[in-house]
Amino acid sequence: MAAAGGGGKSFSFKVVLLGEGCVGKTSMVLRYCENKFNDKHITTLQASFLTKKLNITGKRVNLAIWDTAGQERFHALGPIYYRDSNGAVLVYDITDEDSFQKVKNWVKELRKMLGNDICLCIVGNKIDLDKDRNVSTEEAESYAASVGAKHYRTSAKLNSGIEELFLDLCKRMMEAAQVEERSKGNGGGQSASGRRGVQIVDDEPQAPPTGGCCSSG
Amino acid sequence: MSQKTERRGIHVDQSELLCKKGCGYYGNTAWQGLCSKCWREEYQRVRQKQIQDDWALAEKLQREEEAAAFASSHGAPAQAQSTPPSSQSQSSLGPFSKFEEKKTNEKTRKVTTVKKFFSPSSRTSSKKDSPEVKTSSPSTSRHASFDSDQVSKDFADFLKSMQRPGREIHKQCRSFLLSMSSKKDLNAEEVSECVQDFYQGLADRLTSHFKGSSESVEQVMDQVEKYIMTRLYKSVFCPETTDDEKKDLAMQNRIRALHWVNIQMLCVPMDEEIPEASESVVKAITDIIEMDSKKVPRDKLACVTRCSKHIFAAIGSTKREPASADDFLPALIYIVLKANPPRLQSNIQYITRFCNPSRLMTGEDGYYFTNLCCAAAFIEKLDAQSLNLTPEEFQSYMSGQASPQFDRSRLAADSDPAATSPALAQLRRNLDLLSDLDARQEALMEAARKLHAELPAWSESVRREVRDALEKQPLTLSRPAVTDNADANELPPQRSGGPSFG
Ligand SMILES: Nc1nc2c(ncn2[C@@H]2O[C@H](COP(=O)(O)OP(=O)(O)O)[C@@H](O)[C@H]2O)c(=O)[nH]1
Ligand SMILES: [Mg+2]
Ligand SMILES: [Zn+2]
Repeated sequence: MAAAGGGGKSFSFKVVLLGEGCVGKTSMVLRYCENKFNDKHITTLQASFLTKKLNITGKRVNLAIWDTAGQERFHALGPIYYRDSNGAVLVYDITDEDSFQKVKNWVKELRKMLGNDICLCIVGNKIDLDKDRNVSTEEAESYAASVGAKHYRTSAKLNSGIEELFLDLCKRMMEAAQVEERSKGNGGGQSASGRRGVQIVDDEPQAPPTGGCCSSG
Repeated sequence: MSQKTERRGIHVDQSELLCKKGCGYYGNTAWQGLCSKCWREEYQRVRQKQIQDDWALAEKLQREEEAAAFASSHGAPAQAQSTPPSSQSQSSLGPFSKFEEKKTNEKTRKVTTVKKFFSPSSRTSSKKDSPEVKTSSPSTSRHASFDSDQVSKDFADFLKSMQRPGREIHKQCRSFLLSMSSKKDLNAEEVSECVQDFYQGLADRLTSHFKGSSESVEQVMDQVEKYIMTRLYKSVFCPETTDDEKKDLAMQNRIRALHWVNIQMLCVPMDEEIPEASESVVKAITDIIEMDSKKVPRDKLACVTRCSKHIFAAIGSTKREPASADDFLPALIYIVLKANPPRLQSNIQYITRFCNPSRLMTGEDGYYFTNLCCAAAFIEKLDAQSLNLTPEEFQSYMSGQASPQFDRSRLAADSDPAATSPALAQLRRNLDLLSDLDARQEALMEAARKLHAELPAWSESVRREVRDALEKQPLTLSRPAVTDNADANELPPQRSGGPSFG
């Protein structure tokens, strides 16, 4: 199995999108996966589960992006959505102070439930509306740093910063997965939950096994 | 009543689902309509004996297979079969322990957990039927065992194409099943751990030892899951050691109590007035109900996925933009409320415990399944606030004292509520049909009563006419049967021409 570095590995990651309604979660993911914004000709029937295949420094990454229901009455369901996820994208609207407060609540909850097992991205969306900004970038960035998250600035409308956000997240998740893989190899004491965490599988098609490879058949 | 009509014909009568012993829990066709508890009590002893017989059979089959393998690998003919069984099972270890040794340099816990399934007592294999199939009483579940025979056959056929790895997989699966049949005292989570460890160990082995690509390993693991779980289904679905059954019952009652929740309260972007949307809704309901009838976790999962796709279709034909989670989750909650799927909690638990974890974690199926878990959790906790109702409104709907009006905004535009709800329109059409039928039946009954009343008078009049005729023209021929005949055959009275005998 994969330790860090070897070629021919593929990663599968689950990322949840969290944030108040109308901050632009759906717009961001549709921009990222379909490169469309407020478009009447979107081919996909749904924007709740989307995937993206990437190739990062020769390694294949399958990214699954899980949209979550943002309505307040569904807030309590959060833990069901984000269990086993490798990353969380916490979106706020830079013109909406409340939505930033919501992000802070999510961060608290995620850290409490998942500890440091999850890569957190705090995303200020709608930077095209800078004139109506209500959350200062400095404040958001220092907050992110204080909770071990990274801060990103995006606009789904202008297609700005989104590609970078997901690419950076993937790299961070790969790093985390490789660290975990290494510690697993050394320690041996893998927890049961580790089995349901990230999977790394050999991905290169190999020659079929030859007849006498493992026993006196 | 309104509750039933809204389910539109796919609703199953709850009483058909309950345990035949009347204990109040759900029955299962695999248990002859009994609940797991009653089934176990009923068949404990038969089962115990069957297990012993199975062990004997398995051992016998293993000896035969090993004898055959020994014979072929050494080019020696069948006299190997006369070797004592004890030494045979030792020799069968040969290839397998080598196989294990090669893995010892990989110091993962998984290898050792897989290894523990190959302790001498559980080592066995056979070509045909795994014994676990026959754990039910002899008179029962012919159908079920036929199913699982078919699954065994398919599994064997699938593995045949893989040659060497195929044989290893077969062997490991059988050994695993036998080891599980001897571990009766595990709780549900422990059983789940065993199965998951087995999946993991086998997948690791296929990857590292047989150098399978991730696609082919996935393919094999699907087949393994199908085979293993078809065999284990009866003993691990809704097991006695859990309160799954109690939760099923609670959920069922909860959903029934919430029959008044409508599409507007949940803010579901689906318009059932649109024929395509309402068609998709019906399909989604059917799919989610069907989940309970599948045995393989992946097949159950596929029902959830089909249901979800129909929900997206319903949303898609209502609003013209891609559905987000904000649309999908409430819609799924609505579908679950309408369907009241049998044994929802048991099915959720079963999938969680025994599905191949890679499907549940990152796959699309996993996303829909997670939403189903969310829907179930939401329904359990749902209160006035979750539906934007006042506590008083909620209370009065729950107690049945009041019933919410259909979409008020639409009522303003159109005062006929049937126009806003296809279910209501259908109900009204059905009622019309019924009252029409009723009227016609009443008319029929009336006519029959009249006929009945007229009959004696008519036969009396026939008798009288015949008597009169006979009196007027007495005949020499004596035919005493004439009157009786006329009466019995109900011939119409002959009026014209008078009697024409002779
Ligand atoms: N100006 C601007 N509007 C945006 C941006 N992203 C999303 N929106 C708008 O914000 C509204 C809510 O977006 P949506 O993706 O549905 O948010 P969600 O509820 O978080 O999924 C929509 O009207 C979008 O057009 C952005 O980057 N800039
Ligand atoms: Mg959205
Ligand atoms: Zn019972």
